Amino acid sequence: MSDAERPPTEFEPAEPNTGEEFEPVDVFPDSTDFDLRPGADSCYKCSTCDTNCPVAEVDDDFPGPKFQGPEQWRLKQNEEDYEVDDSVMDCSNCMRCDNACPSGVPLSQMHNTARGEYVENQMSKLSVEYIRNRILANYRTSAWFASKVPRLANAVMNFGPARWVMEKTMGVTSEREFPAFATETFREWWDRQGAAGGSRERARENRERRGDPVDADKKVAYFHGCYSNYNTPEVGKAMVRVYEHFGYEVVVPEQRCSGTPMFANGMLTDARRHAEVNVSSMADLVEQGYDAIASCTSCSMALRQEYPELFDIDGVEEVAAHTFESVEYLRIHEDLRGAIDETEIDGDLAEEFAYHAPCHARNQGLNRQAVELFGDLDGVDVEDVGDSCSGISGTYGWKAEKYDKSMEIGEEMFEHMEDTDGETGMTECPTCAMQMEHGTGYEIRHPLELLEAAVVE
Amino acid sequence: MASAPHIAVIGGGSTGIGIARDLSMRGLDVTLLEQGNLTHGTTGRMHGLLHSGGRYAVSDQASARECIEENRVLRDIAGHCVEMTGGLFVKRPEDSEEYFQEKLEGCRACDIPAEVVSASEARAMEPHLAKDIDKAISVPDGAVDPFRLVAANAASASEHGARIETHSTVEDLIVEDEEVVGVEVEHASGAGERVHGTEGGREEIRADYVVNATGAWAGRIGDMAGVDVEVRPSKGVMTIMNTRQVDTVINRCRPKGDADIVVPHETTCILGTTDEEVEDPEDYPEEQWEVDMMLETLTELVPMLEEARTIRSFWGVRPLYEPPNVGSDDPTDITRDYFLLDHAERDGLEGMTSIVGGKLTTYRMMGEEISDHVCEQFGIDAECRTADVPLPGSEDFSVLRDYMDEFGLRSPIGRRSVERLGSRADEVLKTDGPNPTVCACEGVTRAEIQDAIGQSGSDLNAVRIRTRSSMGNCQGGFCCHRMANELHDEYDEATTRAAWDELLEERWRGQRHALWGEQLSQAMLNYALHATTQNRDNDPADGDPVDFAAFDDGVEPADGSPRGGVATDGGEYCGD
Ligand SMILES: Cc1cc2nc3c(=O)[nH]c(=O)nc-3n(C[C@H](O)[C@H](O)[C@H](O)COP(=O)(O)OP(=O)(O)OC[C@H]3O[C@@H](n4cnc5c(N)ncnc54)[C@H](O)[C@@H]3O)c2cc1C
Ligand code: SF4
Ligand code: SF4
Repeated sequence: MSDAERPPTEFEPAEPNTGEEFEPVDVFPDSTDFDLRPGADSCYKCSTCDTNCPVAEVDDDFPGPKFQGPEQWRLKQNEEDYEVDDSVMDCSNCMRCDNACPSGVPLSQMHNTARGEYVENQMSKLSVEYIRNRILANYRTSAWFASKVPRLANAVMNFGPARWVMEKTMGVTSEREFPAFATETFREWWDRQGAAGGSRERARENRERRGDPVDADKKVAYFHGCYSNYNTPEVGKAMVRVYEHFGYEVVVPEQRCSGTPMFANGMLTDARRHAEVNVSSMADLVEQGYDAIASCTSCSMALRQEYPELFDIDGVEEVAAHTFESVEYLRIHEDLRGAIDETEIDGDLAEEFAYHAPCHARNQGLNRQAVELFGDLDGVDVEDVGDSCSGISGTYGWKAEKYDKSMEIGEEMFEHMEDTDGETGMTECPTCAMQMEHGTGYEIRHPLELLEAAVVE
Repeated sequence: MASAPHIAVIGGGSTGIGIARDLSMRGLDVTLLEQGNLTHGTTGRMHGLLHSGGRYAVSDQASARECIEENRVLRDIAGHCVEMTGGLFVKRPEDSEEYFQEKLEGCRACDIPAEVVSASEARAMEPHLAKDIDKAISVPDGAVDPFRLVAANAASASEHGARIETHSTVEDLIVEDEEVVGVEVEHASGAGERVHGTEGGREEIRADYVVNATGAWAGRIGDMAGVDVEVRPSKGVMTIMNTRQVDTVINRCRPKGDADIVVPHETTCILGTTDEEVEDPEDYPEEQWEVDMMLETLTELVPMLEEARTIRSFWGVRPLYEPPNVGSDDPTDITRDYFLLDHAERDGLEGMTSIVGGKLTTYRMMGEEISDHVCEQFGIDAECRTADVPLPGSEDFSVLRDYMDEFGLRSPIGRRSVERLGSRADEVLKTDGPNPTVCACEGVTRAEIQDAIGQSGSDLNAVRIRTRSSMGNCQGGFCCHRMANELHDEYDEATTRAAWDELLEERWRGQRHALWGEQLSQAMLNYALHATTQNRDNDPADGDPVDFAAFDDGVEPADGSPRGGVATDGGEYCGD
């Protein structure tokens, strides 16, 4: 069944992880209100979340995560007419508050759920804001169309008058350039490489070369996400080459958007539809012994944390437990440091990289991995540009009314980038990359690309 | 009669204030005397259940009928103090089926709407009920805020000319020729609303009639005139949860027992209770085992309570009265009904009646009955209107407003404020000045605090019970000083300081029995915050006023001269 044929599902979040072992009763199958009030029990009001929120820092009208999460949920009541405050739409879903809270309050789950309720019950489905957000959140759909005619799309999407119209009618800022669409998507390339069959062969060759057992149980399922499929296939290619180099068979299962932009826009019905496809194809593979690997830190975050917090799809917990970010996984299972010690980089990538750790990488404990990994790699330098937020947070910085705030949040990162010697940036997150490029004009690479250059001849 | 008779009502709980409103609406001249705040006694330490009567439907059907009658009346006249949550009597497999049927029949016999609901229907209403329950009976129980109810009655009584004196203790009754003719009162501060530090004093108040509505203290007032009032005070513990695990009142359906009810109350749930006779209504042990036992027992109905955060526990004493010839051993056997004791008939002492026993739910009915009795003494034929005239705040109102457009408030804060203020919302919340949130846990803004200060003077505990400020999960850790700050301008530093101390002390008191888990973290954070930013671990002001002028006021002198004093970080101010 294609996306378009699916009946729209109602938003039916799973009972959240509120500390209690919940025994669900399905006597209320179509309830849209679900209760996170007990999550407020862990909050002792210290305000650490507020001081870590990048939006609260630049936007005086934004009440901050403490209000938006535990306070609002505690004040709310499970009655139909209890409204969610509209400020929840100003949160960028960077999830820094989640990471900052010393007390384990499920902040982003609270924000996502409240935002879902707000969009479902309080936002006009005919408003420009709703339509604009829905288009931004469903980036995959636009990208799918554009990828059919990439050159035309690239020209039209960044055509001045068209952008002016988009800003005026839709509120999509004309300050930013749309990312270019690749003339060949990652999946098209993958098919040309012989897909899974080709990968198995190459993996075997590499195992022989490495002296691994030829039938070693090394297999991963790649979650490429929308961006490396349509816009930066070189990241996906690097993933495949690096993994095959270490003897892994790669499969690229059927997949949709991870849902990250949809969570941030409260489009939980859309997100669930996509999540069902992703979880179902990953769950099958996990059962067969595959691990799920994402090269985008927001995608891995969605599979690991947001899915189990928000949806009760079959297999969601197993998939979450078997999902890893691409460099993280290799650092766990392979001697990456050893491999890197032996080589050196010259040419194109012999650079000082200005590395920015995406907020969602931070939440997974990955914010230092690129700096630690490449620290000993000869020929390059990786300079951490600090722990501020890039400010774009996916779709946030694309909204005309948020653009200035987005740039204000990014200011600190831009300054630190300018201070590095090179003119190349590095990050795992595609939208952070857009922001880095937009603010400094640097070219931005993914750690996998450098890893490929280092270890794959 | 030339002028209206003057009636002194002793006791500012629900009973006394209900009498004061009723009598003043009938045109009598009323003075109400309360030794503490309004609700200082049992009324401020009760469970908050607006009884449907279901709890008494088997054991005490007369009380059950009164409850359902008054339950309907209060929904009308006190809409902003009541939340109609509905209630369930839940039967577990080990509870008696026979009793379940008796309960159902009892409810129906008393005209209490009652339906049997299956286990899955009950769990659909309340998903956190235990999985293995059998079934339940639904009844129209509700939640009532005793503070708001009493404050609204007081406002109404004042509007009708009553004089309400808080922090005024009746020390003695004036008895002349076998007749009570007045009371001797010790005011803690001057008459009228309370202001700390104001000179108090003794006052003799002459009255044509005295009503003793002092609940558990009724015997002491009786003693002052040499009459016996045999109140048997019985204590009960209640524990407040941080959030609402249930939105319906949950009762255990079994004959009697401790720890059998959970009442959703505003942002919280209140668990209750126990029943144990005590000697002295003001001095009885508060024991941790009572709390532990209650949590454990109620976990059988709502398992998640075991893990959930408690924010405080408190005890109240029931003013149970038993006519002299009954002699029950167990306090749970004593009737919950109320009794009107006319001391002229009973003891040959003219001029005074005591009212004892009863429930908050039936406070208005008690007020009506005793007001009829008082009027009878003076041959006055005035009709009772308290069942028809809504309380201030409960006139027609809707909680569905555009909080941001109308009041500039975020929706959950606006919603809570409007629920608390009822029809007074516009009058209170539409202010010109900035209106920041003072208590973030309960969503209380400056405008509401100022309104309460206007009603009750510098007494911050009185502000607290009117607004719920400082009653949320941080228990005042983050807002007591802000509340004190709101006294500024009108009240001087010493007054503010005294009021602030008193509020903090009250807040800590109730947390002693909740110091584990999350609330312990909260208490430690509060302590650290208060110690490091307010010197609460070691008060340096020592009663003397602080020399605030010595602090840097942060404003650069206009003439460019170097700034004096100390920089806000404590170091010396340097630079230009
Ligand atoms: C644990 C518990 C739970 C309860 N739960 C419920 C419930 O859920 N629903 C319900 O309807 N009822 C409930 N009740 C019953 C209800 O709370 C009481 O019946 C009611 O509040 C009694 O009010 P009152 O005004 O008679 O007494 P009080 O509120 O005690 O008022 C008496 C007042 O007199 C004052 N006073 C005493 N001596 C003097 C003096 N010398 N001078 C001046 N003032 C004086 C006291 O300070 C006090 O404020 C509960 C009671 C208890 C103990
Ligand atoms: S997710 Fe980010 S923007 Fe949203 S409240 Fe948390 S820290 Fe602030
Ligand atoms: S950081 Fe956590 S505990 Fe502190 S205020 Fe925020 S949610 Fe509450």
